Amino acid sequence: MDRRTFLHLLGKGALVSSVAGIFPDLLFGQSAFDLGLQGQELIQNGEYAKAVEVLQKAVAMDPSSDWAYGLLGRAYRGLGKTAEAVDAFRQALRINPEDTYSRWMVEMMTQKPIPKLPKKEKPRSPLEIQAEEEEKRVLGRLASKESLEYQVKRVVVDAGHGGFDSGAVGLSGLKEKDVTLELATRLHRRLEAGGRVKSFLTRTGDYYIPLSDRTAVANQYQADLFISIHINANENRKANGSETYYCAEKASNQEAARVAEFENSVLKFDEEFKKEEGFISIEEILFHFEQRMYWKESGSFAGRFQEKFKTDLPFRSRGVNSANFFVLRRAKMPAILLETGFISNPEDESKLKTPAFLDRVADSVFRGIA
Amino acid sequence: MRTLWGRLILVATMFAVFAGAAAWAADVNDLLFEGADHHYRGLVDQAIGKFQEALRLDPENEYAHNQLGILYAKKERYDDAFREFSKVVEIDGRNTFAHLWLGILYLRKNDLDRGFTKFNEVIALDPGNADAYYFIGAIYNIRHNPVKAIEYLKKARDADSEEAETHYRLGTAFSNLDMVHNALLEYDRTMALKPSHTKAMNDMGWILYNQGKVDEAVDKWKKVLETNPKDRDAQSNLAKAYGDMALKLQGEGKTKKAVQYWKQMLSVQPGNKAAVYYLKKYQ
Repeated sequence: MDRRTFLHLLGKGALVSSVAGIFPDLLFGQSAFDLGLQGQELIQNGEYAKAVEVLQKAVAMDPSSDWAYGLLGRAYRGLGKTAEAVDAFRQALRINPEDTYSRWMVEMMTQKPIPKLPKKEKPRSPLEIQAEEEEKRVLGRLASKESLEYQVKRVVVDAGHGGFDSGAVGLSGLKEKDVTLELATRLHRRLEAGGRVKSFLTRTGDYYIPLSDRTAVANQYQADLFISIHINANENRKANGSETYYCAEKASNQEAARVAEFENSVLKFDEEFKKEEGFISIEEILFHFEQRMYWKESGSFAGRFQEKFKTDLPFRSRGVNSANFFVLRRAKMPAILLETGFISNPEDESKLKTPAFLDRVADSVFRGIA
Repeated sequence: MRTLWGRLILVATMFAVFAGAAAWAADVNDLLFEGADHHYRGLVDQAIGKFQEALRLDPENEYAHNQLGILYAKKERYDDAFREFSKVVEIDGRNTFAHLWLGILYLRKNDLDRGFTKFNEVIALDPGNADAYYFIGAIYNIRHNPVKAIEYLKKARDADSEEAETHYRLGTAFSNLDMVHNALLEYDRTMALKPSHTKAMNDMGWILYNQGKVDEAVDKWKKVLETNPKDRDAQSNLAKAYGDMALKLQGEGKTKKAVQYWKQMLSVQPGNKAAVYYLKKYQ
C-alpha cells in the first residue's frame, strides 16, 4: 500500500466512520471491510483494546487483507504490545510487500529487543520424528568447545592427474599420475588408521577425473580440508625440492603463476561476481568472508605442511607459494596443493620410486594434519 | 495590563512551540516514511537524501541513522556505514540492529574476533535475537565446528523459523556430522521457504547420492539446472555422477552403456576432457 492509498483509506475511513457514528447498525455488519473501518475509528479514538478485538475478527474473516493487518498492528502498538504489533505488520507485509507503512513500522520496532510470541505447536512429520531420534542418538554424545579454531575431521585426498593424463614424466619413465596415486593411497590408509580423521579419495585407480569433479568430491563429503598431491617438473633437470601451494587471488611469484597455469590446463574460471548497483546481500558478505577465511586457513596449512617437509624429507624446501588454482578455488574448504619433489630431477625421481620413501612423504603429510 | 500582555505572550509562545513541535514531528515522520519508501523501491540516492534531511531535523533519530548505514553499505561506502551504525550505538547502546550491522561490517573486513564479539553482545542485549544466533552459527559453520554451529543455528531457527538461510546452514552442519535425517529435514524446510534455493538442492543431491539413491540425486541436480542453467556446482555434480556411472560400466565391460553416460556428461559439461577422450576412444 503506498502512502497515497493509505491516506485515502484513512480519509475514507474518517468519512464512513462519522456516518457510522450516526447509523451504527446500518454500517457495522459482518463484512471484514466494515470491521476494518470500525477498528480504524476505535484506533483514532484511542480505544486500542476494542480495536484489537474488532480487527482480529476482520482478519479472521478476510486473512488476505493487508489493510486490516496493518490496522491490527497499529492497534497493538497503541496497546504497547510490540511483539503482537510486529507480527501483524509482518503479516500485512507478507500479503503486500509494497506496504511501506507496515515495513517502516517493522523496521523501526525491531531495532531494539522485542518480546517473543509463544509458538504454535504443529503435528510432527515422519521425517521430523526420525530427525528427533537421530539427534538424541548422535548429538548428545558430541561436545565441542567455544573455540573459533578451525577443525579438521574430514579430509579429501586428491591424486593428481590419472588415466590418459599422465602428468609429468621422468627420465626413466616414472609417471606423475602413478606417484600421486601411490602417495594419496598411502596417506588415505594412514589417516584411516589414525582414526581421528575420516579420509576420502578422489580417485582409487588409473583413470582421469576432470578438475571440477575433484572438488565435487570434496563437496560431496563436506570435507574440512582438501589436499591435492602433485609432483613438480621443470625443463631444468637440476630443479629439485618440495613446495606447497594454496589458493589466493594473485600468484605469489612468476613461478607460482606458471605452475598454476600448467595445472589449470584448459580450464576457464568462474565468472567474477558482478556487483549489482544499490544492492547488498548478507549472504554475499558471508560467502566472501568464508572464502577469505578458507584462503587464510589454506595458507596456515600450507605453512604447516612445508615445515614438516623441511624436517621430515630429504628435499630442499622451496617454500610456500600462492596462486589461483582452479582445483583449489572451487573447493568450499581450505585447500592446498603439494608438490613433493621434481619428477624431472633424476635424483628425486629415483626416490619417488621407492615405497619406503613414499611412506615417509605420506607420514609427513599425515603429521601436518594431525 | 503588563501581566495580561505577559500572559498573552506566554500563551502565544507556547502555542508557537507546540505547533512547531507538532509540525516538526510530522515533517520528520514524513521524511522517514518517504525515505523508507524510496529505499524499498531501490532509489538509493533519493532515500539517502530523505534520511539526511530527517537527521537535520532530528540528529539523534536512530532509525534514520540505521537506514543511512544500510544505504551507504549498498553504495559500498562502508566507512560511512560504519560511522552511522556506531552513532546509533552511541545514542542508545540497546539498539541491536546497529550492533548487528557493526558485526556484519567487521566480517566484511575479515575481522572474525570483533564480529563474533559483536554478535555475542547482541545476544547479551536480546537473548531471543535470531539474527545474532544465525551469524554465530554461520561463523562456527565456516570454522567447520558443526556441533557449535548446530547449537547456535537451532537457537536462530527456534527464534525465527522463517529464514531459509538458517535452515540451509543448519542442514550443512547436520550433513557435516552425517546426521542425514536432520540435514534432509532442514533442507526440506529451506526449500519450502525458498523453492529456488539451489545450494540446498545441490547438497540434498549429495546426501541422496551417498545413500546410493543415484537417480533421485540426479533429479535434484537437474532441477537445479532448470532453476539456473549456469549453476557450476550442479554441472560438476552431474558430471561427477555420470562419470562415476560410466567408469563403473566401463569396468564391467559394458562399453555401449558407458558411452551413453559419457554423452550425458558432455551434455552438462561441454568440453569435459574425460567425456571427450572416452567418446573418441569408444565411439
